[in-house]
Amino acid sequence: MQKNALYILLADDDEDDRLFFKDAFEEIKIQNNVDFVHDGMQLMDHLNNPDNKLPDILFLDLNMPKKTGKECLIEIKKTERLKNIIIAIYSTSSSEEDIEDTFIQGANIYIKKPSDFNTLKKIINEVVTVNWHYHTSGLNRDNFLLRLK
Amino acid sequence: MKWIPNFNSSNSLRVIFVIAVFILLFLSSIAYKHNQDLNESSKLVMHTYEINIQLERLMSAIKDAETGQRGYIITRNGRFLAPYLYSRDKVNASFVTLKKLTADNPIQQQNLENLFKLIIQRFVSFENCLKYSEPKTYDKRKLDNYMFSGRIQMENIRFQVDKMNDIEKKYLEKRLKIYDQEISLSPIFSISLFLTALTFILMAYRQISRDFERLKIFNKKLLISSGLMAESETIGKFSTWQWDLDSNKIDYSDNQFRLLGVEPNSFIPEKESFLEFVHPDDKDVVQASMQGIIERKNLPFVYYKIVRPDHEIRHFKSTGKLLTDQQGSKILLGINFDITDEHLLNIELQERNKELEKSNKELASFNHVASHDLQEPLRKIQTFISRVSDADKAVMSDSAREYLSKIESSAKRMRVLIDDLLLFSRTNTTKKEFIKSNLNELLENAESELTEIIQEKKAVITTSKLPKLEVIPYQIEQLFINLIGNSLKYSQLGRIPEIVIESEKVLSADYPDILEQTIKKFHKITFKDNGMGFDPQFKETIFILFQRLHSKTDYPGTGIGLAICKKIVENHKGFILADSDPGKGSIFTVFLPD
Amino acid sequence: MKLFIKFDINTICSLYLKHTLDKQNINFTSLGFGEIEIADNLDADALETLKNNLSPCGFEIVENQKSVLVQKIKDAIIELVFMEDSNNYKSSVFLAEKLNHSYGYLSNVFSEVTYSSIENFIILQKIERAKQLIIINEMSLTEIAFLLNYSSVAHLSTQFKNTTGITPSAFQRIIKKRRENLK
Repeated sequence: MQKNALYILLADDDEDDRLFFKDAFEEIKIQNNVDFVHDGMQLMDHLNNPDNKLPDILFLDLNMPKKTGKECLIEIKKTERLKNIIIAIYSTSSSEEDIEDTFIQGANIYIKKPSDFNTLKKIINEVVTVNWHYHTSGLNRDNFLLRLK
Repeated sequence: MKWIPNFNSSNSLRVIFVIAVFILLFLSSIAYKHNQDLNESSKLVMHTYEINIQLERLMSAIKDAETGQRGYIITRNGRFLAPYLYSRDKVNASFVTLKKLTADNPIQQQNLENLFKLIIQRFVSFENCLKYSEPKTYDKRKLDNYMFSGRIQMENIRFQVDKMNDIEKKYLEKRLKIYDQEISLSPIFSISLFLTALTFILMAYRQISRDFERLKIFNKKLLISSGLMAESETIGKFSTWQWDLDSNKIDYSDNQFRLLGVEPNSFIPEKESFLEFVHPDDKDVVQASMQGIIERKNLPFVYYKIVRPDHEIRHFKSTGKLLTDQQGSKILLGINFDITDEHLLNIELQERNKELEKSNKELASFNHVASHDLQEPLRKIQTFISRVSDADKAVMSDSAREYLSKIESSAKRMRVLIDDLLLFSRTNTTKKEFIKSNLNELLENAESELTEIIQEKKAVITTSKLPKLEVIPYQIEQLFINLIGNSLKYSQLGRIPEIVIESEKVLSADYPDILEQTIKKFHKITFKDNGMGFDPQFKETIFILFQRLHSKTDYPGTGIGLAICKKIVENHKGFILADSDPGKGSIFTVFLPD
Repeated sequence: MKLFIKFDINTICSLYLKHTLDKQNINFTSLGFGEIEIADNLDADALETLKNNLSPCGFEIVENQKSVLVQKIKDAIIELVFMEDSNNYKSSVFLAEKLNHSYGYLSNVFSEVTYSSIENFIILQKIERAKQLIIINEMSLTEIAFLLNYSSVAHLSTQFKNTTGITPSAFQRIIKKRRENLK
């Protein structure tokens, strides 16, 4: 693992989506490492294991078996060690209710899964860039809300 | 119930009667006494007169004796001596009578005694006169002497008689005076008493007749209401019963018998006879509740079934209430309802509710399927298509390339359709949170959503000041997006799209056919464009789901956008109208409540 | 109780930097913009210790000259955005004068290092400032738009929406609800 590389974690039960995601990250310029978990339980186990490095950005699908993304989000925000992780919701739903609700629960980014690979790349690029700015330019992370379509 | 009259006046009536009776008794006793007194006084007068007469008789007897003696002395004829001889008997008889008459008066007795002594002296003088007038024993001086003393005695007797008469007279006068006094006091008093009694009786009579009138009225009301009751019992399928807890007598209304499926009064209501009708399953419940009535003196609602003689099962609901009347006797009033129809209706309703719940659940899960599961594969189709790079396409055959592009456009169309459908179903299902919002802000949001197409078409949107209203912000934003988007989509070729948005306050009374009249004021917001417009005959159909006025190839669209607008406006209790001048533009009017 | 605290990041950073360096007994002079000059040369071990001491607060020793310049550009932009009279300056002129490089050069370096443009960064910063102002809730959107040199509220709203994906009012609502949610 490269030392300064951005560490990304995606929690998504859909194999194809994980594939698109991996491919998209491979094509962006910023150095990165991407890990995957397949459901909410696995995600929480991964995060709660102190041996694992915490991700710089966690991409979270809402619709997952065993434990939904929303449940994971609430759990993460309640856990002292995890609550500062930047969380990007990565979901098919474009319901305003879902969006606002996850923001209120503490998500920073809401991404509606695009139906175009280039859009996905563009979105990931933007997320990473903005996130990097937040990290390096002393911006208040409490105000970090970003919605991408 | 208030129609039971208050006959408390009977108490005052009673008092009035008692007083009147007492007055009358008093009056009659006074009259009786009066009568007695009158009797007494006439007796007294008679008594006085009798004494008077007897005294006069006594006097006349003596005078007769005197006259007879004189005649004899003068004539020496013995015939003259007869009255003298009889007079002694007469005097004696009168004296006895007088003695009897004055028995109650010692003074008069005394006087009588004196009189008698005087009379005896007089007769002694008579004897002496006779003796000395006899020729044999004639003595002129003694005769004169006795004659003279006889004269004086005679005067004394007269004096004594007069004295006695005076006493009687005075006594009579005194007694009469007392009676007079007694009598003179009572007439005014008794008349006034009589009048009082009369007044009382009249008052009582008035009260009685008034009560009687009231009783008549209440009787009539009672008759009407009992008639109404019987009628409403029949119509309303309920019945009443009374249970006199003291005498343990139960009365059923006619309808109670009918509800039980028998003729009115076909049996004597008893606790046990009712239980026979109760369905075996519910006997325990009903029995327990009956026991409860007796113990707790009231009956909460109890639900049970009864079996009619013709084996028809009916559902009953009963309740009761304890009533204590003015006499303090306890009566339990009860109502039975035949709720069979409601019961069946309820069951039907429950079933329908279940069905509805089921179909709602199905709808919700359909929504979920549409929003997630249906989109997933489509999204992947699109993403995979997008991953076919230009390099890949270059090595494909022309037809394969064309098929790919057709797959792509079909997938795109399906996406739009699914998105719009979702949007439409969401306008119904999402929670309706009304927030006071500035419509200008929402319009700006809508415009920024449409930035790309606005810039592409170089559209000019002119907006006047819009109101601040309690709305569902997302939905109004969507409404604006759809209306503006619609105008932009159907713009005229070669003409810069212009959209003018204006707002004014209007009264619902001015639009009685379309606006909810319970809300007084509405905001009328108009969206006017210079687009291609539409045939005004479609101005209502364009709001119907999947109604399209143009072919798919000419203008992309799903026929859902305006249906969403209508739904949103309806969610806000408003109204939406469309009108158009084909070729010149169309105007959409939205009414939102103030 | 709710308190809104205004803070000056530059002051905090200089204080923390001074504190950390003093702890290691390093003599230094501050040149501003995150640049310091150390009197003596540090050996590798000391440099490593310093790195480790600075890292918990997100401080990094920038080793690359271009990265140094990007950091300088960023600091200058932040300064510009937070300046009371930022309206009077055109950002390109301000940056060129401040950093003594042509704007074209600065722009190239910035994109090369951050993969985003200076313009985007300025917008990001302005919207960030707008967010803070919205949260404090002392100014109307019109006032905020004027303060941040936007031609109209609509312009600010549009840029806000384009940058964050949500409208200013939705942002305000979400932050408010999020705070209530935390209580």
